[in-house]
Amino acid sequence: MGQIRHQAMIKHGGFEVVAACDTHTDPNAEIPVVTDPMRVYDYDPDVIFCCVPNNMIPDVVCEALDRGKHVFSEKPPGRNSDDVRKMQAAEARNPALVLKFGFNHRFHDAIEDAKRLIDAGTMGDLYFMRGVYGKAGGANYAQNWRNDPAKSGGGILIDQGIHMLDLFLMFASDFPNVQSVVQRKFWTDVPVEDNAFALMRNDNGVVASLHSSATQWQHKFTLELYARGGFISVNGILSASGTYGTEVLNVALNRLDKDGNPIPNPESQEIRYTVDRSWDKEITEFYEAVVNGAPVKCGTSQQALDVMLLVERIYAADPAWSEQRTAAIAGRW
Amino acid sequence: MVTGMQTPVFIDDLPDSSAVGSRKSERYRQVRNRALAEMLLDEAVTWHERPCPACGQDRASSRNFSQALMPFQRCSACNTIYAARVPDQRHLDQERLQMLSDLPPEPADSAKSTREFEFVSILNWLRLTEARHGKPLNTVAEYRFSSQAPSLPQTVERIGSTRDWTFLPLSDSGSANFGDLRDHLQASSPDAVLLYGEMDRIAEPAQLLRVVRANLPRGSLVFIATSCADGLEYEILGADSPSFVPLDRLNIFSVGGFSALVEELGYKAIEISTPGRLDAVILQKYFTEIEGSDVPFWSGFFRSANKDRLHDLQILLQRSLRSGVMRFVLET
Ligand SMILES: [Zn+2]
Repeated sequence: MGQIRHQAMIKHGGFEVVAACDTHTDPNAEIPVVTDPMRVYDYDPDVIFCCVPNNMIPDVVCEALDRGKHVFSEKPPGRNSDDVRKMQAAEARNPALVLKFGFNHRFHDAIEDAKRLIDAGTMGDLYFMRGVYGKAGGANYAQNWRNDPAKSGGGILIDQGIHMLDLFLMFASDFPNVQSVVQRKFWTDVPVEDNAFALMRNDNGVVASLHSSATQWQHKFTLELYARGGFISVNGILSASGTYGTEVLNVALNRLDKDGNPIPNPESQEIRYTVDRSWDKEITEFYEAVVNGAPVKCGTSQQALDVMLLVERIYAADPAWSEQRTAAIAGRW
Repeated sequence: MVTGMQTPVFIDDLPDSSAVGSRKSERYRQVRNRALAEMLLDEAVTWHERPCPACGQDRASSRNFSQALMPFQRCSACNTIYAARVPDQRHLDQERLQMLSDLPPEPADSAKSTREFEFVSILNWLRLTEARHGKPLNTVAEYRFSSQAPSLPQTVERIGSTRDWTFLPLSDSGSANFGDLRDHLQASSPDAVLLYGEMDRIAEPAQLLRVVRANLPRGSLVFIATSCADGLEYEILGADSPSFVPLDRLNIFSVGGFSALVEELGYKAIEISTPGRLDAVILQKYFTEIEGSDVPFWSGFFRSANKDRLHDLQILLQRSLRSGVMRFVLET
């Protein structure tokens, strides 16, 4: 992730990377690389980009803010809502500083266009959303820190599904009503979920259904929005790996018969997006916030808290899983 | 605000080949060709020679497209198909008014609903572009299409568009140099102008585009639908294409040629598509009905293709900007 962010900074301009911290030093690196996180402050940076395991995020972020540095942190924002609150407290202590989290899916062109279509009122009232985000678990699944609940806070839901939840929250307000099934089917030697299903409803009656999966065996991103006057779907999402396909937005407005009833299968418009500009837009927003005081719109700590609370609600809504998870985090699994 | 240009694909049920026959019947073609022959003999009509109406390439370096009735060329620089000699606009308009008054009334029932789906497609096109572009189009001026499609205003009225539409029909008076449009644009500054099927039929398309841009505030949108010379139908069948009716197709722009033209005139193209639905069925009909019409690969392909495969091809053509009609959205 650090490399991707670095490239985006170079492309944007106005950033000078003075030092990097990694688990090992690189003799060929063009910038100083340290292994002790505290050593980066020797270089007196204005900004810290935080790309560390989830359990380390709160300390790194709070330390940076309290030392007067603006912070861009990768998602998820820690392991749980308490972690987010800790960071919010540091943010409140340092009101002049920018804190932004990398929920970059909001910046994808197809998602932005879908948002414009909903916001313009063209589609009418939103009825429901369906999101599927999944992959094939990957190499070293059991050894990866992402699947150690003490470090990550959870499995596929908190790692990948959280992006879909963030988009749900962008299109509709909070979802207090949650039902879920959370399970572990394939990677049974680690105590984190490899599938999470959630059915949610907000106070305006908007329903959202999520399936987040590490056993989908193909990389797949699908977000569908159904509204009174038609529907939108986004299939595929441009990613660094390129394995989730081209981003394709389909949008259709209903055709009505003479009695005003929708005729099935309306004409739809398909728009394909082949260039991933999300990293650039995200960096631009952060730059504008730091340099020109522009507000952060995507990835605020409040959005981070909202989505973390929703993740916790989904874990808690499956009683069997909830019990198992609590034990796992306490190391009693 | 959308940045960059988009190329939407319009996905819908594919009409079957019966829809093709009724659209441009052989009889209609004959009537139009007779009208053209009469114009050629009419001494009151002035004709002028012209280069490629899109990129201005000299006729001498273009290729012959058709010599029947009058010369049509295919530009070797931009692929636009064009009449190398065109009649003056006034006589073109008069002839068109005559033709429209001679036409039978619009057919009822099934054909009518096909027509209405086309109108709904236009209205939804505006709605979706407006939303993506983040700019409300409260007032729209439509130029001359309502003369070709008299039921358009009723459909617009019935579907309950929230915007104000003005329909400027083809008229015998006041349309010299598109003065009727100029006056309306100056008086009302609409947010958008719709030119549907008009670019094909006029002697000086650049002139019409100049009038539109000169009389609209910057940032207004212009929605244009026209034939597309890059379409597979024109590429394979050339002047044998059933869509090629010379008097109705004085200009068949290519995507590249029209893009260059509008850029030259100061517009910014924000959306380009070739939303044709008929190329595949037209070609299938042609190759199954015309004996001895053998073209390597394609005749066999179309004779054996089922509806499913035709649909796949049609979508591929759209995605490749290779269908026989195109739509542009321009910003002034
Ligand atoms: Zn040309």
